[in-house]
Amino acid sequence: MRSHRNLVIGAMLLAVALVAAACSSGGDTKDGTPIIVGSANFGESALVAEIYAQALEAEGYTVVRKLNTGNREIYATALEAGELHLVPEYVGSALSFKGGVPTANTDSTTSDLRAAWAIDGVTVLNPALAQDKNGFVVTAATAADLGLSSVSDLAAFNGTLVFGGPPECPEREFCLPGLESVYGLSFAEFKALDVGGPLTVAALEGDEIQLALLFTSDGVIASKGFVLLDDDKGLQPAENVVPVVLTSIVDEYGTSFTDVLNKVSAKLTTADLTLMNKLTGYDGEDPVQVAADWLKSVGITK
Amino acid sequence: MTVFAQSASGIFQWSWVQRNLDAIWDRTLEHVYLTAVAIGVGFVISLGLSLVALRWRRAYQPITLVTGLLYTIPSLALFAFLVPVTGLSVLTAEIGLVSYTLLILIRNMVTGINEIPSDVIESADGMGYTRSRRFWEIEVPLAMPVIITGIRIATVTVIGLVTVTSLIGLGGLGFFILRGLQTFSSPIGTTQIIVGTALSVFLAVAADLSLSGIQRLLTPWASRKEAK
Amino acid sequence: MIEFLGEVADWFGDPVNWQGIDGIPNRLWEHFQMTMFSMVIAAVIAILPAIVLAHKKIGGVFVVAVVNIGRAVPSFAIVAIALPISIRLGLGLGFWPTLLALVFLAVPPMFSNTYAGVSGVDAALVEAGRGMGLTEYQTMFRIEVPVAMPVIVAGARIATVQVIATATLGALVAWGGLGRYIIDGFATQNAPEVFAGGILVALMAIGAETLFSLYERTTYSARLRRRSVGTADEGIVVVESVPH
Repeated sequence: MRSHRNLVIGAMLLAVALVAAACSSGGDTKDGTPIIVGSANFGESALVAEIYAQALEAEGYTVVRKLNTGNREIYATALEAGELHLVPEYVGSALSFKGGVPTANTDSTTSDLRAAWAIDGVTVLNPALAQDKNGFVVTAATAADLGLSSVSDLAAFNGTLVFGGPPECPEREFCLPGLESVYGLSFAEFKALDVGGPLTVAALEGDEIQLALLFTSDGVIASKGFVLLDDDKGLQPAENVVPVVLTSIVDEYGTSFTDVLNKVSAKLTTADLTLMNKLTGYDGEDPVQVAADWLKSVGITK
Repeated sequence: MTVFAQSASGIFQWSWVQRNLDAIWDRTLEHVYLTAVAIGVGFVISLGLSLVALRWRRAYQPITLVTGLLYTIPSLALFAFLVPVTGLSVLTAEIGLVSYTLLILIRNMVTGINEIPSDVIESADGMGYTRSRRFWEIEVPLAMPVIITGIRIATVTVIGLVTVTSLIGLGGLGFFILRGLQTFSSPIGTTQIIVGTALSVFLAVAADLSLSGIQRLLTPWASRKEAK
Repeated sequence: MIEFLGEVADWFGDPVNWQGIDGIPNRLWEHFQMTMFSMVIAAVIAILPAIVLAHKKIGGVFVVAVVNIGRAVPSFAIVAIALPISIRLGLGLGFWPTLLALVFLAVPPMFSNTYAGVSGVDAALVEAGRGMGLTEYQTMFRIEVPVAMPVIVAGARIATVQVIATATLGALVAWGGLGRYIIDGFATQNAPEVFAGGILVALMAIGAETLFSLYERTTYSARLRRRSVGTADEGIVVVESVPH
């Protein structure tokens, strides 16, 4: 009868609509301000920014990328001014930048950072597991010859070793001044090289410097067989990767937005980050592809 | 001693180029833009100063002295002076770049006019040309080959110097050279150095050839005179 | 602005900046030494072949090509390329890539000017020499080279100034020199240091240019010198100024 048929058709249409809605729920474009993702001008920062950007896009957010903005002075200013909406940060260095005193404790450092940046309209989300700290590194040969396993072991050789690192090192409290005040170290010379890059690595390999500042998530330490000296006096603060977002954007999109980012952070380990750094930095692979592959491998995207 | 420890693809990675065609294009445009503005502004300033030097002979020495001084100052030092004053901006880059064009352009403009044989000037006077008509209709066209040669040299010079502006945040194709320098141990690094260098050279050669073609068009009598 | 210049003056006044490896005397000395090394090596490479080729009147096209390449390849690129080459040759960073790059930069103007200078010697003089029974060797070194000297020295002047200028980029490949103040100053946002570095480099370049010019002015007559300062044209190129 007609009424029965209409009911059935209606139910079928409804079923189809429900199925269609269920299938495309991840594909709906979220209306609202496009999210501008920025980063600092080094590979790891751009890579992490790309990961967050792709995770958001998979959830239907519109993302605009403005990567490689510059150093912290530049991109933090842009963020606070609203020219960038999201940048990946490192809890310790960021807190230091905002005038706070970071410690090796991730939780307290993060909450201090949260408080410090809230005033400037920036929300600090959950920190990732991955950390990237300053690492003081020697070659395997040097470690063996001088019997070095921790940073305080260097004190026995004060005034004889050449230390190489980024030009800012003499001005950064977690670098040269910290080594001097916390560990009581002194060096024959400090050589300004690059920011944990190939120049520093080459100088270490060529014995132009005996101690180098590299970054703990840089795969080169393992691949070259360097020895990362143990930070036994805890000079280096916690440096978990953390996405920081303009508070107005967080308010606009709410928890479904922050959940996406927090889910990514929860999966990002130091080992994963180190591997991705190696692939993009040394093997020449495309950061966009590496980011996509990682998101798939941890089950955030299909 | 490992000479080429990486495989051949370890020096140049075509896939990087393919991924970054947009960036390469943008930087090329930036390079051309910075060069064009520098030559344009430099030309106008040089023209003015040359007219002054031609009108008042005594002005030539001091003008040459100052522009020569500017030319001798190394580009990095010049940017070192400008950055604290005008910041990391296009203005800083342009002030620096324009400074390097002045000596060459002025010297070629003035010499070009001065080297015109005096009998040509006398004939023009004899034919009744006024001073200004004589200047613009006889002397300038005759000086064109030398003037354009100056523009050619200045242009190639500026194209090379634009790469140094990468150290103050610009750079044009020099951006890739700087990036490559910062990541030189990886294939992406060496690829960028190669791309930045090759395209800079290409721009310089293209500019030189184009200007030499223009030179030929504007001064057909000069090329007919040349015995090749 | 006045305040800033005061900060620059303070930088010069600070005794810390006059001591040790990063002090002004040491950096000046490094810069000077590197300039000397590069110029001597480049002279050895460039001058003799240029004299011989010019004397035999061959290789003119080659000279033009060398000059054009030297002008078209940015000095920054040469420094950048020298680094991986130096590492792969096992020479490390710092001194050797800088030296490599600077020699490469100094050769074209010296080669080209020497060639042009010797080529430009009046053929009549050479004929006279041959007529007097001079050997080819004597013709080259007793007639052609002395007459070509103003142009050769001008080439050395240009090359030296360019080397001083480009040596500042050596700081990017872990070398020292005066460029350290500029590069490190940029990195640590220390504007007075950057400016002070600029002053030191500019003074050194201007100083070299002035010394050479004085030497040229007192040693060579005005007529000889006028030939060395010409406008570049299509033919054999006398290099009167080179980008840096």
